[in-house]
Amino acid sequence: MTGEIFNIQKFCVNDGPGIRTTVFFKGCPLSCVWCHNPESRSVKKQILCYPDKCVGCGRCAHLTVDTPDFFCPNGAKEICGRTVSTDEVIAEVMKDKTFYENSGGGMTLSGGEPLFQPEFALELLQKAKKEGLHTAIETCGFAAKDTLRKIAAYTDLFLFDFKESVPALHQQFTGVDNRVILENLKLLDELGKDIVLRCPIIPGYNARPDHYAAIARVAEKFNHIIGVDIEPYHSLGEGKYRALGKDVPEITMPVKEEVDTVIADIQCKTSVPVRKG
Amino acid sequence: MPDLSKLKELIFETDDNACFIERERILARLDKEMADYNGADKQARVFATLLSEVSTPVYACDYFAGRVVEGLPDEGMKAPSILLEATGHMSFDYEKLLRVGLKGILDEICAVAHKKGDDASLQFSDNARILVDAIRDFAVRYADEAERMGRERMAKALRIVPFEPAYDFYSALQGIWLIHMIASCYVGARDYAFGKFDGYMETYYHKALENGETREELAELLAGFLVKTNEICGRCAYDYRTKPVLSFSSKQYVNIGGEVPNEFSTVVLDAAMRSNMAQPEITVLLKPDADTAFTQKVFEAQSVLTDKMNIYNYPATVAAFINMGIDEKIAKDYTYSACCTVDLHYHTYRREYYVPVPQILIQTLEGGDYTSLEEVLEAFRHRLCADMQHNADEEQQDRTQAEGKYFLLDALLMPDSAVECRYPCDGTSPYNLLNLFCPGIATVGDSLMVLDKLVFEEKRYTYRDFITIVRNNFENHEELRQEILNYTKFGNDTAADKYTVLAANAFLDAADALVLKRNFFAAPGFYSLQRDNFWAGEVGATPDGRKAGEPFSENQSPTYGADKNGITALLKSLSKLPFERTVTGGLNLTFSQKMSPDILQALVLSYFQMGGFHVGISVVDKETLRDAMRNPDKYKSLTVRLYGFSEYFVSLAEWQQIAVLNRTAY
Repeated sequence: MTGEIFNIQKFCVNDGPGIRTTVFFKGCPLSCVWCHNPESRSVKKQILCYPDKCVGCGRCAHLTVDTPDFFCPNGAKEICGRTVSTDEVIAEVMKDKTFYENSGGGMTLSGGEPLFQPEFALELLQKAKKEGLHTAIETCGFAAKDTLRKIAAYTDLFLFDFKESVPALHQQFTGVDNRVILENLKLLDELGKDIVLRCPIIPGYNARPDHYAAIARVAEKFNHIIGVDIEPYHSLGEGKYRALGKDVPEITMPVKEEVDTVIADIQCKTSVPVRKG
Repeated sequence: MPDLSKLKELIFETDDNACFIERERILARLDKEMADYNGADKQARVFATLLSEVSTPVYACDYFAGRVVEGLPDEGMKAPSILLEATGHMSFDYEKLLRVGLKGILDEICAVAHKKGDDASLQFSDNARILVDAIRDFAVRYADEAERMGRERMAKALRIVPFEPAYDFYSALQGIWLIHMIASCYVGARDYAFGKFDGYMETYYHKALENGETREELAELLAGFLVKTNEICGRCAYDYRTKPVLSFSSKQYVNIGGEVPNEFSTVVLDAAMRSNMAQPEITVLLKPDADTAFTQKVFEAQSVLTDKMNIYNYPATVAAFINMGIDEKIAKDYTYSACCTVDLHYHTYRREYYVPVPQILIQTLEGGDYTSLEEVLEAFRHRLCADMQHNADEEQQDRTQAEGKYFLLDALLMPDSAVECRYPCDGTSPYNLLNLFCPGIATVGDSLMVLDKLVFEEKRYTYRDFITIVRNNFENHEELRQEILNYTKFGNDTAADKYTVLAANAFLDAADALVLKRNFFAAPGFYSLQRDNFWAGEVGATPDGRKAGEPFSENQSPTYGADKNGITALLKSLSKLPFERTVTGGLNLTFSQKMSPDILQALVLSYFQMGGFHVGISVVDKETLRDAMRNPDKYKSLTVRLYGFSEYFVSLAEWQQIAVLNRTAY
């Protein structure tokens, strides 16, 4: 089986335990206003353009997303996205087996949204499990229950996004209702899967005391949430918005002291470890 | 009260333009006074006069006595004086010093000299006595000062060590420091190493515990000892704005681990974390299956000390020594006496040669008209061997007269030299190691890859045409150069790695083919020191797309920016190199964020399991480095890893700072 990805990143140390390889899926059902991977939103391949690097050599005149082995010597254009088979991905992931064995690491699926390509994700997880790897999936939780059940059987850890606690605001900020997401969180908890809540903190959007309180409540409510990662907004995606010809969201980055305060506030209200993700 | 922070502050207040002013004034005077005297005891008498005249200050913050007064050189002064000078780069046998004292060593020398009865041996023993007496009297003067300062323990120790054997943990460290300081600062030489420190200090540690001292107190004391090593060269950087002292940019190496790490090994690591200064470098000889407590402490220390620590694959290095023909028992006692030179149980005399490998590749390519990569490799090997043999023939001579700077103090502390009444450099040491360093290995490997692809496989260019393009610095062929630069090179765990492995084997085969005397051993390794930049400026373009004058690859690393597939791929590429045939060399890894001990442990142990040889790390934030370049005063204590050691970033030359910035950071 094949799927659409835009990167396989080695030596990830923040996407689950140990040293991991993270597979970034292309395509996401949400449209978060603060998304820092805008190139991951469409499942289709895209051309990223960096005009400031272009010297006008014209090599890319006939470039399409399907041009094989395209290379711009100045890095002014690149194709984002490629179709790969699960075997290809697993072969690449398994290159680091020794590092996983020595660190308790493994494979993490991220994106985009891995559950947006559920069969591809499932087959990858099955194959990784067959190889004896620890598996994790970073998900927004917006998926069919059946899908999640199947995925859960081959997933050791869920890095589960908790983006906004107020339903109307969730709809407004991400484009989808959060009921399905919360039900899925409950399902995973009932299935006894380890969950780390991943909470983006976005000034001007969800950076509010009532949302912080809700994060602590959710962490306390479920039995299998083993950690809360607070992820302050960062502007690393800005260049990619420009490369896609899109407007950059106007969001300021929270300063370190603010983030430390948020973490301390939430930690006061829950026994689950809270840390900067 | 001894005070670690105060001792550190004093280091940051040192002036890189200052010399050891008392030494310089006394030696300048003696140089004139003794101009017409050429007796065989001249250096010994100069040494004795120097030690009898220099002051013996003890500061309230000192844990141990022994500091050298600094000051700006007087007008017209040519500092440093080479009236006394040694080579350094060796490990003294401090175990023996502590066990028998200088007195015991001297007694042994006198007995041997008497038995041999020849003039040279008798003169050797006479000179040895002058030196030992001078050091004893110097220590006693320090004892008097310590007593005046109310430092009873210090005073008591200095009336005994280093002349007599050490009697406890404190006196052992005091004795070592005095000798180390005299050798480095008064005689003058860089890089004296402490050998297998946890091996010979363990007994004194346990005795101290039995006498009621705590682990905590002993770690504090040891930190006070380790900080002192920074006084040898202050903050002076290697090869830049040389401080006018003979121990300029001296690096100090404390080796621990090896066959059986002990409880004291972890105390050394704790003390190093407290000290946490550029010196000394903690060199861990790590067995991947070592005791868990030790291993965990090593990586806890690495996450704190970062660039101030080296970790070597101990069993792999021992195996490489055995392959070289070294006896297993001796091989297991190896230590590093500098960033990259090895020492075999204090019996080694070391020479080193940076083989101009990239230049020899260019000469090879220019010197033939080859039709296959095999032909190129054969010719390359042949030229490498001829070059190294020429150097080896020179190095195997007796250097005692030729260099004239080998001072007796070194001979006293090298046990086999002492008991044979001879100088360490006379060519008769049982283990003369010719350290053969190969700079730019990835530049060479990638060049072979490009040549093979464009000329021999794809036949896009004739051999001569392509070599002409390279010779002309890719002029009018910028598009081709860009294409070449975009090829996947060494460092990405791909098939391209095989070319660097071929280049590495060509170098090692050439080293194996050297014709050497029975007691000389080729000790090859992949290491550049600063040759990646230093030489590169005068070397023409290479087939890998490097233009004339651009740097070569550094140490074992890929060429700058070639490693694009992450650190795990990089380590897998590196582990393909034939490290089972090398005993020196180094790898510097740069991280952009602090790594947890667990992750460092997993990375390094995985690498060693795959055959990796050495790891040194830096943790740098590039923004911080840029800010440090703009505002050096704000970043006095910021250290980074350079070549095979730790350096203060703001003390580096701009090109060195840029080289650090250009490294791939993970």
